[in-house]
Amino acid sequence: MEAKPNTIYRALDRKAAAITEFTMRQYRTKASTWVILGVGLVAISLVMLIYIDVMASGFESIDNDGDSLDPDNDGYPTGQELKWGTDPYMDNSHPGLLTPPIEPEPASNYIDEDGFDYSITGTSTRQTTGFDDDGDCYNYDGTSSRKDSNQNGVECDVLLVQDRYSGQWNVNPDLNVDEDPDDAAYVAEATHMAFVLGIGKMGFVLLLGMFLPLFLATGLIRDEMSAGTMHFMLAKPIARTEVFLYRILGYLGIVWPYFIALGILFALISGFMGPSDGLFRFNDLGVWLAIVFATMMASFVYGMLFCTMGVMWRYGIVLAIPFAAWELGMCLISMGAPDASILRFSVIGWALMIVDAAAVLVWPNMDMFLLQGTTFGNDLNSIQTSAFALDFFYSKPGVGSNGLISSVFATVVLLVQGALLWFIGGAIFKGKEIE
Amino acid sequence: MMPDFNQEGKGQDQAWQPDLTVPAVLLEGVSKSYGRIFALSNITMALNGGVTGVLGTNGAGKSTMFNLLMGKLKPSQGKIRLFGTDPWKNPAPYARVGFVPEHEKMYDWMTAHQFVSTFARLNGLTRAEAMVEADRVLNFVGLTDVAHKKIGQYSKGMRQRAKIAHALVNDPELIILDEPLQGCDPLARTTIMNVIRELGRMGRTVIVSSHILQEIERITEQIIILHKGRLLALGNLHAIREKLDQIPHRIQIEADNAKELAKDVIDLDDVSGISFPNKNNLSIQTHNLGAIHADLPKVIVENGHRVHTIDNPDDDLASILGYLTNGGGR
Amino acid sequence: MSEQPTELPPADIEYGAEAPVTGQGRMQAAWGSSEGDEDMSSPQATQPTSTGHVFEQVYKPWQGTLNPRWMRNWAILRHHLLGIFKKGHRPWGMPTRLFVLIVFIASLSDAALTLLSGLIGDGSLHQLWGVSRDNLYGHVLGFFPRNVLYYPIVAALLVGSVISEDRQHGTSALYFSRPITRFDYVGMKFLSVALIQAIVVLLTLALYYFAEIISLGRGWAWIMDTFPLFLAAFVSGMLLIFTYTSIGLALSSVSKGKFFPGIGLLSIVLGTKVLAVLVSTLFDREILYLLSPYDCMAHVGQILIGTQPTYDQYSWTWSLASLVAMNALALYTLSARVSSMEVTRE
Repeated sequence: MEAKPNTIYRALDRKAAAITEFTMRQYRTKASTWVILGVGLVAISLVMLIYIDVMASGFESIDNDGDSLDPDNDGYPTGQELKWGTDPYMDNSHPGLLTPPIEPEPASNYIDEDGFDYSITGTSTRQTTGFDDDGDCYNYDGTSSRKDSNQNGVECDVLLVQDRYSGQWNVNPDLNVDEDPDDAAYVAEATHMAFVLGIGKMGFVLLLGMFLPLFLATGLIRDEMSAGTMHFMLAKPIARTEVFLYRILGYLGIVWPYFIALGILFALISGFMGPSDGLFRFNDLGVWLAIVFATMMASFVYGMLFCTMGVMWRYGIVLAIPFAAWELGMCLISMGAPDASILRFSVIGWALMIVDAAAVLVWPNMDMFLLQGTTFGNDLNSIQTSAFALDFFYSKPGVGSNGLISSVFATVVLLVQGALLWFIGGAIFKGKEIE
Repeated sequence: MMPDFNQEGKGQDQAWQPDLTVPAVLLEGVSKSYGRIFALSNITMALNGGVTGVLGTNGAGKSTMFNLLMGKLKPSQGKIRLFGTDPWKNPAPYARVGFVPEHEKMYDWMTAHQFVSTFARLNGLTRAEAMVEADRVLNFVGLTDVAHKKIGQYSKGMRQRAKIAHALVNDPELIILDEPLQGCDPLARTTIMNVIRELGRMGRTVIVSSHILQEIERITEQIIILHKGRLLALGNLHAIREKLDQIPHRIQIEADNAKELAKDVIDLDDVSGISFPNKNNLSIQTHNLGAIHADLPKVIVENGHRVHTIDNPDDDLASILGYLTNGGGR
Repeated sequence: MSEQPTELPPADIEYGAEAPVTGQGRMQAAWGSSEGDEDMSSPQATQPTSTGHVFEQVYKPWQGTLNPRWMRNWAILRHHLLGIFKKGHRPWGMPTRLFVLIVFIASLSDAALTLLSGLIGDGSLHQLWGVSRDNLYGHVLGFFPRNVLYYPIVAALLVGSVISEDRQHGTSALYFSRPITRFDYVGMKFLSVALIQAIVVLLTLALYYFAEIISLGRGWAWIMDTFPLFLAAFVSGMLLIFTYTSIGLALSSVSKGKFFPGIGLLSIVLGTKVLAVLVSTLFDREILYLLSPYDCMAHVGQILIGTQPTYDQYSWTWSLASLVAMNALALYTLSARVSSMEVTRE
């Protein structure tokens, strides 16, 4: 055999690649691996199918203020009559009688004619902003106090007041200002974003990121030990901690490509199906990247953890089950209270932080968007429902205000957790007597 | 704790050289206990060179001893050294060791060639080197023509040989075989025994365990007898046998008319005693088992006896162990 | 040297249940030697003779009377059931037994609080903890913590090994070499697992109900009023146990390991629930609840017990149909697997 230079590749080609390849091949020959990956795909695709159905069937636009109706049957919708100052309830009073006569507009012009157009500027806790798009406030034939129903001295505006303690903004628009936004657009946008976050956090990170390691990684060392085949591996000049690490690498070699493929598939489908000005929602790719990355990190830490549990005890399942329940709870807590310090003692809390951080970076106007949706109207309407769903899945990253910093921080924490578990698992494995 | 980043098995790059100063295997007062049960108690020995057979019944502590040697178990007491290194703490000496575990379970989904070459890489060989080495050892154990078949389709003997091949791939100085003949058909036994003898001739230190004396007898003369975790005998098989031969062998015959048969048998030269355990059974005592077995059929056929069974109850390990532990008898 | 040949057993040997006939361990008795090498002697060819001999084979028919079928089945049931409480029966793992005990105690929390409120005599406490439609429903079908941390995990731990272990170790031979049909075998396994869960779910429910009667001195009128509710909760509990057991045993019968059936049951119960919650939160569609065994049972239970249904996009009959379909599928898998199970060590 001719001597080849000892490159890094050749060095890695020795033990590490041998065990990693071996482990991947072992997974591939097991039917259970494919069953588990297939079930994961089916489960998560169910949600995707419903998303496609919802998006394809579209959303209904509602005339929130009722001004597209024509109660007096004079051919002019209420909105148009209000604009010209005629009486919408009397058929002998309509813009057609004005000089010059005004042609009646179609009723659809008065659906979704007054969208949200307020914003927060500066740091003042009491701001006046907003604009009445369709003029049904400005032209309203009434007293000025009727035009200034929020009583801040400015007619036809939106009053924003920040709560001193909670920091929440209260939205108080004047009557007929921003009263009929585009429901379909808002609901589609909110539903899409909620879907990306929801399937990313609960579908990818929680279900795939936790249950796949539970099935696939627990037996990595333990099954070999109980079957007696571990003897082959441990009779070679290789440290047990290394065996542990390379087995995990082999497991990651199976699940990481799976996550990446699934992530690309979902990013493509939702990018084309989701509401956008162009053909494809390129912005979302950042969030999908974070979702896939967070799932990969979670599966890495969980893999180390469940493998360690499997080594530690014959009844690894007994340890893994309460832990899985704990992580499920932590997942729900992180949706509601991302600042909760208890989340720091979980894996999923940190993984979800990566998704949150990306969402903050990719969708910087999310706060305003949520504020508009959740405060719209007095009774539960479709805008509010979709905004609440989005609000449930969206949360600010708990550490640091900057998305980039918190995602890097969370990644480092997850890596440290994984490394720590490797040390613990390796040490336990090292002290394990194998019959 | 940190991975071995250069990923080469230690001791692989330099040419193989027997280290004559340190014995391959050294056990000093080694005990292994599980709770109050001693699987191995106070074993002291050193092995270097040649083929050594480890004899013992099931549960005698053979596998425990091997697992201790291979660092699978931690000794409760005593010191174990493999080429001068504690195997529990340091896996480095395994580069010079080949181990054939007794477990039947193998990776059924691999071919023997994949199996051997994959595990060869754990010795620090590169992919290309491992392929070449796998071909070599599979040829050595005679599996070349089935090397690319799945292990799951192998017979027991072929599996054992695949296991042996995997242990030989790093050209080890010390080879430990735990029950390599278990469950094999006679043909496979012969093949495997030839392989082991061949290894011995190549100057390797070979330790092979079995619970069947005849198997060991055909492989080696140097034996260790373990019983209930204790070292019963160590040394040349013939020397041990000679001591055993001073104690008479027994032949048990079940015949229709044991008394009549006894009359005929007593005339044979080597019979030293006869007894009747019960009405139809005859027990012959002798110092020369072979001579009796040569003469006995003739006596029976010539005198027209109806014989149901002929049995040598002593010709197994249990009776030898019985002699060694109680000085004979059961 | 002794004159007794070793081949014959001594005359005074007892063939009792405690001393197995062969003097070997029970496993060995069932399995014999697997390799043929255990007898520590290798066959030795004696001098070949020119004459052969064919031995006449006579089988003695067994003349005893077989115990009735229920009695044999009872032995299996008893073996599994008593194993939870004491040694000498089926060795359930220590963690399993411990967890069953913990859940049993935790499951009694409402009974304890009812007793407490009765002792204190505080009406508001009793309103919170006493027997009511909602509390009876909650005892059996409440999601958190009972159907996250208690009942599914108990089911998972019990179901994990009950058939797969036999497949793994080949101990099914111990059953199938005796006059027991496969239906009896799987039926008794099912029943024993279900009964252990019944201790945790139904016994505690009954104790809760009695705690109310005792601590508040309820009379016949109250009992007449509430007994149908109790009965409905009881039936819901039976449905819960039956469903968890059938799904779990089906998983146990397809698997060789202990781990997979348990974790599989949990991921079916909790995974479908998470998916359904996700979809109903995102899109306000409840359709996926039909895939979740827990939600189907909860819906049916809500109708049975008469609490306010929390699923309002479809009728409860859909849930019932889905539940029946799930159980049918699970039982079909179970029976198909058990009837084709090979009596070997896998």
